[in-house]
Amino acid sequence: MLASILTLGGIGLFAAIALGIAAKKFAVEVDPRELAILEVLPGANCGACGLPGCGGYAKAIVAGSMAPNLCPPGGAETIEKIAHIMGVEALSSAPKVAVVCCQGDNIKASLKYQYLGLEDCNAAQKIADGPKNCPGGCIGLGSCVRACPFGAIEITAEGLAVISRVNCTGCEKCIATCPRSVIKMTPLSATTHVLCNSNDKGALVRKYCQVGCIACQICKKVAPESYTIENFLARVVYDSAENAEVAIEKCPTKCIRDFASGYPEGSSFAAVGPGTKPEQAA
Amino acid sequence: MNPKTMDLKTFKGGLHPPDGKEFSADKAIEICPLPEELIIPLAQHIGAPAVACVEVGAKVKKGSLIANARGFVSAPIHASTSGEVIAIEPRPHPMGKALPAIVIRPDGADSWDESLKSANPGDLTAEELKACIQAAGIVGMGGATFPTHVKLSPPADKQIDTLILNGVECEPYLTADHRMMLENTEQILDGIDILRKVLGIERAVIGIEANKPDAIETLRKEAALRNIEVQALEVKYPQGAEKQLIDAITGRQVPSGTLPMEVGVVVQNVGTAAAISAAVRLGRPLVERVVTITGPGIKDPKNLLVRIGTPLQFLVDQCGGLNGEPAKIIMGGPMMGQTQLSLEPPAIRGTSGLLIFRKEDLPRYEAGPCIRCGRCIGACPIHLQPTTIAAYARLDLFDEAAEYHALDCIECGCCTYICPATLPLVQSIRYAKAAIMAKKRTL
Amino acid sequence: MVELFVILVSAVFVNNFVLARFLGICPFLGVSKKVETALGMGMAVIFVMTVASVVTWFIQYLILIPFGIEYLQTIAFILVIASLVQLVEMVIQKTSPVLYQSLGIFLPLITTNCAVLGVAVLNIQKDYSFLQSVVFSLGAGLGFTLAMVLFAGLRERTDLSPVPKSFQGTAIALVTAGLLSLAFMGFAGLVKG
Repeated sequence: MLASILTLGGIGLFAAIALGIAAKKFAVEVDPRELAILEVLPGANCGACGLPGCGGYAKAIVAGSMAPNLCPPGGAETIEKIAHIMGVEALSSAPKVAVVCCQGDNIKASLKYQYLGLEDCNAAQKIADGPKNCPGGCIGLGSCVRACPFGAIEITAEGLAVISRVNCTGCEKCIATCPRSVIKMTPLSATTHVLCNSNDKGALVRKYCQVGCIACQICKKVAPESYTIENFLARVVYDSAENAEVAIEKCPTKCIRDFASGYPEGSSFAAVGPGTKPEQAA
Repeated sequence: MNPKTMDLKTFKGGLHPPDGKEFSADKAIEICPLPEELIIPLAQHIGAPAVACVEVGAKVKKGSLIANARGFVSAPIHASTSGEVIAIEPRPHPMGKALPAIVIRPDGADSWDESLKSANPGDLTAEELKACIQAAGIVGMGGATFPTHVKLSPPADKQIDTLILNGVECEPYLTADHRMMLENTEQILDGIDILRKVLGIERAVIGIEANKPDAIETLRKEAALRNIEVQALEVKYPQGAEKQLIDAITGRQVPSGTLPMEVGVVVQNVGTAAAISAAVRLGRPLVERVVTITGPGIKDPKNLLVRIGTPLQFLVDQCGGLNGEPAKIIMGGPMMGQTQLSLEPPAIRGTSGLLIFRKEDLPRYEAGPCIRCGRCIGACPIHLQPTTIAAYARLDLFDEAAEYHALDCIECGCCTYICPATLPLVQSIRYAKAAIMAKKRTL
Repeated sequence: MVELFVILVSAVFVNNFVLARFLGICPFLGVSKKVETALGMGMAVIFVMTVASVVTWFIQYLILIPFGIEYLQTIAFILVIASLVQLVEMVIQKTSPVLYQSLGIFLPLITTNCAVLGVAVLNIQKDYSFLQSVVFSLGAGLGFTLAMVLFAGLRERTDLSPVPKSFQGTAIALVTAGLLSLAFMGFAGLVKG
């Protein structure tokens, strides 16, 4: 009994001392702030900051080569924590979500040709600039779905990408992969968007899409502060868009939509209800 | 001569799709009439597009220069008939989008520019001949449209010893080169003589697939007098691809990522040789070419001598019109040709054929999973693993795709043709190639 | 000499630690997504197994048996192996950053790995001499590496294949591991014992 306690205790003590000495002798300097930051980062290793993983980003923040507000998935909370660790004031960036600025699915927008190849938007885009007549519309082959690390995007049965406002973290990976730049970053607080991405003239848009922006200027007349029209395409001015929703009813092609009242039909997100985060609705 | 008794050379890999050449192989070349307007795109060759040097309203003659080459790897463009320039604007292009083009309304006279001078190739030096070819805007007539003068200017350290003439025409359906060899034999051989003089070499070999015994016979008779070899080749696609043709005829393999001049060979299409002869002897620039208009969707398939810029619809009208509802329109051959959105675009320098298929001619199967049968690997003429590269491409693993030599793919389409699961292999590889090239550029 | 060779072959193929004894399944499934990392892990395991069997052999015959406390074998071995691996990790991290990058990151994963403990315990159970136990642990490590690399190669291939949804991920990996194990059963008659 005593022998066993002493022997095992002895071995343990010896190991502890050896490890203790080794820890001192072979210590490698790691900035404690780096570990602390790594702790508060989301750990998804999504690469939204521009570095391969959260570890690299933590190192870059401590080294001072990158700002602490470049982690969209972490949101304001993470930024605040990092800023606290680094002892600087939080440069909060407003939370953002990605929105597919197109409603022209395979039924509402006409096709140039029947595409039968590889299920990938970038591959389809290489063939005569994509199968849709609209040069800016969503191709709907799901390159963004595969790029999204958070499973926030799906393709509707009619072939249109829809992004969940609840699951989207604003990492912008989908934007990088979309060959037509139809996905835009918008402030999470703004729920009214112009869902069109065609810079063609109104008459041409009408020919190929039932729900495209025809640049009729009505939204701008109804809410001059909230809309601009550039290159025959209306856009919400998010900084001053207090009453953007008043134009929704007036839009003749119904290409302005309010996500507070639900997602475009055909997506499974629509069944869940309004596209707002719970904390934001409160 | 019986093709079976001939000594047939070939390469390893490839396959033989049903060639469909019976539609138009016996049809003599006819001259296509003048359409109401000619649409001559500025981008018709590999390299920088040409720059227009005429203004709207200018009167031009057939063969007048209307656009200058931009840089060395480029080619000038000439008017294909006499008439008036009525517009310089984006028009539908065979590439699938609207690109800048010079639109000419013919005056009906179709008169040649008097300033074009004929010459005797014997009186000119190699450099003068090359300048003549460059000024005439000659590009590879097989379909790749690479400017010919660039191919004829090998760096000083590359020793060229063999000129290969490509009369293979391995693409199914196409018969334009076949008819050229039968009807323009003299012109082709004359072009070969000029090419030999430019390159300063003796050895010239014409490679022809054994399914054109009449062309082989005709050329053998004439070529023997000029010390030109005619080599019969096994009927197999892509026998006419440059590197495969070199392998078949000389047994030399062009190393990955290099040009044929690396192994001392220059390859030219027989159509190009004929165009070179016309450019030097008659001073006539490249303004027309032979196009095979064929396929089950055409009432009366023909081989037409077409002015560059003639709209495809006009060509179809010359061949008795459409035979039923077209489902697929292809410019070039069915394996590597460019699918067209409509019949609006014009025929350009690379248009070797116009194929029209109806829905019933195109059986379509759902793509299934790869069953690892390896038939694509056996068919690949450059010995790649198409299924592996395509699988990496689908997963966006482009570094791995590059390790499997995706960039060496010649996009011949053998793998897609042979695949029993009907996977879009060549499209996936092409996608990977584009991504790898984009990555290389950013590095 | 022949005996040592038999021990080695037996440990690598016939009684492969992963595929026949089913030890060390955790790193086998966890670190086998890529051949490169699988190889790194295998190297780390070879190293740790050999060092651990040397140390535990001495612990057994110089401490546990003389004091008559063989029943504490398991806990003593775990204690010694864990602290030893920690120590080695620290030393490598300080002295050779290159080696640490390729090997060190796997070390914490295998400090208390059952395959490592298994080698130590089997050495004692089979009454191996010192040299025999070193050869046996080396063979066990090699066998582990072989299994890892084979499995990682297979997984790289299955990544490229359209796996049915219900089989995606760990499911197909486990099926693959089972088949690989079946294949290794073919070695069963090679060496007796």
